[in-house]
Amino acid sequence: MNRRDFLRYAVVGAAALTLDGCMKRASVQPPTHHSHRTTSYSLNISEALVEMVDGTAVYMWLYEDPMKGPSFPGPVINANEGDRIILSITNTLDEDHSFSVPGVVESGNIAPGEKKVLTFTVPATGTYLYFDSLNAPVNRILGLHGAMVVLPHDTGNNPYTNPASAVRELFNDLGHAEHFPGEPWIAERTRIWLFTSVDPKFNQMAMEGKLINPEELVNSYLPRYFTINGQSGAFAAHDHNNVPSGRIGQPHLIRLLNADVDFHSPHIHGNHVYVTAINAQTRDNAQFVDTFTLAPMDRVDWLLPFMRPPDIPGDPNMPLRELVKNELSKVLGDVPQSPLTYPMHGHDELSQTAAGGNYPQGLVTTWEITGDLDGVDFPSVH
Amino acid sequence: MSIRTISRRQISEEEKPVFHKHVCPPKHSGPPPDPVAPTVTIARNLMVTINLPLPDGGAVPMWIIEDPDDQVGGQVFPSKMIRVVEGDVVHVRTGVKTNTHTIHWHGIEPTPMNDGVGKHSFEVSGNFTYQWLAGQSGTYFYHCHKNTTLHFEMGLYGLLIIDPPRGEGYVAGFNPPSHVIPYDVEALWVVDEIDSRWHRELASTHDAFMQKCDPNDPSAPGPFTQNGFLNDFRPDIFLITGVPRLDDDTPIMDPAVAVYAKVGQTILLRILHSGYTVQRYTIGIDAEAIAFDGRPFGVPPFGKYSKPFAISAGTPFTLTVARRIELIIRPKRPGVFPAQVEFLHDITGRRLAMARTVINVS
Repeated sequence: MNRRDFLRYAVVGAAALTLDGCMKRASVQPPTHHSHRTTSYSLNISEALVEMVDGTAVYMWLYEDPMKGPSFPGPVINANEGDRIILSITNTLDEDHSFSVPGVVESGNIAPGEKKVLTFTVPATGTYLYFDSLNAPVNRILGLHGAMVVLPHDTGNNPYTNPASAVRELFNDLGHAEHFPGEPWIAERTRIWLFTSVDPKFNQMAMEGKLINPEELVNSYLPRYFTINGQSGAFAAHDHNNVPSGRIGQPHLIRLLNADVDFHSPHIHGNHVYVTAINAQTRDNAQFVDTFTLAPMDRVDWLLPFMRPPDIPGDPNMPLRELVKNELSKVLGDVPQSPLTYPMHGHDELSQTAAGGNYPQGLVTTWEITGDLDGVDFPSVH
Repeated sequence: MSIRTISRRQISEEEKPVFHKHVCPPKHSGPPPDPVAPTVTIARNLMVTINLPLPDGGAVPMWIIEDPDDQVGGQVFPSKMIRVVEGDVVHVRTGVKTNTHTIHWHGIEPTPMNDGVGKHSFEVSGNFTYQWLAGQSGTYFYHCHKNTTLHFEMGLYGLLIIDPPRGEGYVAGFNPPSHVIPYDVEALWVVDEIDSRWHRELASTHDAFMQKCDPNDPSAPGPFTQNGFLNDFRPDIFLITGVPRLDDDTPIMDPAVAVYAKVGQTILLRILHSGYTVQRYTIGIDAEAIAFDGRPFGVPPFGKYSKPFAISAGTPFTLTVARRIELIIRPKRPGVFPAQVEFLHDITGRRLAMARTVINVS
């Protein structure tokens, strides 16, 4: 299975864990009963050389699904609230490591060569970061982190169990209220944007087996590469697994995670987004923003409404395929202007660099509006 | 066991044009592709270099976006504010005098060709007229979106305010049934930091550290620069609305920054974070937050999932880059109320500097 297939599983896997190496393609049908399941699977703590955007190979420590090989970041864990997980985790490296989701599961030290079996209950719905909590933040920033996504058993049109009233109202309004024409949210319309950065001098030290002092790392960390889901720049911006794509009225949920030691200030163009949850707590004050703050370790959920971009002049009742037909027929730089594409990028603009320049080969991706509210796609231009 | 390699994703022939455009956007000029008659036409030129005087007698070169129609105040830092009224159809005649630039209207949401991002449209060479609707009143800004790490830092940005239909003196906010709040005094805090090394060493290099363009192999490692320093920001000048602070202790009293009001008046304070640090604000008087990012809390329909919140005197709040907050302050007694911004390192959290000013209530 290639990475693209894997992430597709991760996104649509509403009904089952994706880490089971024997899993068949996940069903998108919600389960019809509430019986809590127990699922077993395994992870290795291992190492790999990861090619950065400019081709530089950087040594990293990674969580690995043994059936699939190492990935940066670690594989997405999709789970349903209340289920039991039995996780066998084997440390293949030469120093102690761990697996931690604060408040949920904490492995403690796993010695070189040791295998630990952790049993835990899947926590409340939301977005979680799993990571190696030892020598913090060193082991995490060297690559040992990943996303865990928890959905309700009956996801339907709301990703949260018992959300705050504002968030419940928002999801109820999507596709129903006059100001949100179109469709309700559905689980397939989810993306994960996991941010981190790489300062290769510390990765080099790890490869040489040198101890890294966490204070020294924080005080002298100079990020050279910034990534979303392990990729940078054009690679991140044009990977379909990162790119929310749909017509007007097809809202998407974006789960942002910051594994970095750096603050990030992601900005989205084309639509404002609702901040529906911070650190797996839904918001009773769901603000509508174009830029938001992620401190290190933060997880923030955004509801991207896929509204018609509100600041296009002209008749608001005319479909965009007619109102902006000249733009949609243009090809600039050998790339069609149809569909309408917008960036999301870190506005702490240092994060837009690679190797100290190469703008914009950093923390950036894309979202695209492919058609009008009435279900007609924008013309494709050849 | 040898260490395995995770390779970069292989890109297809079909992907090559978008990869090439990602770093090497095309140039374009002309009118808006789908023109609508404007109600307001504004001119902006990029770019002009000015010297910003510093309190120590020195100066630092800044790049600014010029208003060529304003012979008196058209060349300022931050670049001259744009102020329009909700419902306006805005045309901005954009003249590019040096190399290529763009203007992105941050928080305004038009089509990609009017959004000012090169890799999603084009860079302006010569003249282009951007077109957008001032759809929702609030606090926005505009900035060059080319090699943004450098161009935004150099000063190619300014505030953009959309007033509600009733005009200046009113701001959208939770206040049924009208959902506008009248104010008497408006304060604009645009809070920035400058790394003078960037300004000294890169002031003549628009394309500093940009990747070279190879349309045949746009992801080839070879054309990547390997020696940039735009990931290394070490600010040494700290400003509010273009006024550099002298030191951590001395409040800025410049009337462009310090607020002067009377008991019983309503102050509207608009804050834009236009730097790269984490900024922690502490204001010594009670305030109420009424909007983020040009979206008023509690105002239906889109604001009905949010509500205004109180920030009591002395309670710090944090902003990161490009965020805006609107605060309403209703002073109940006279006094000189301190306000401060702490500039925090975005990794260590260490305080790099502080800028102070005051809210003076008589």
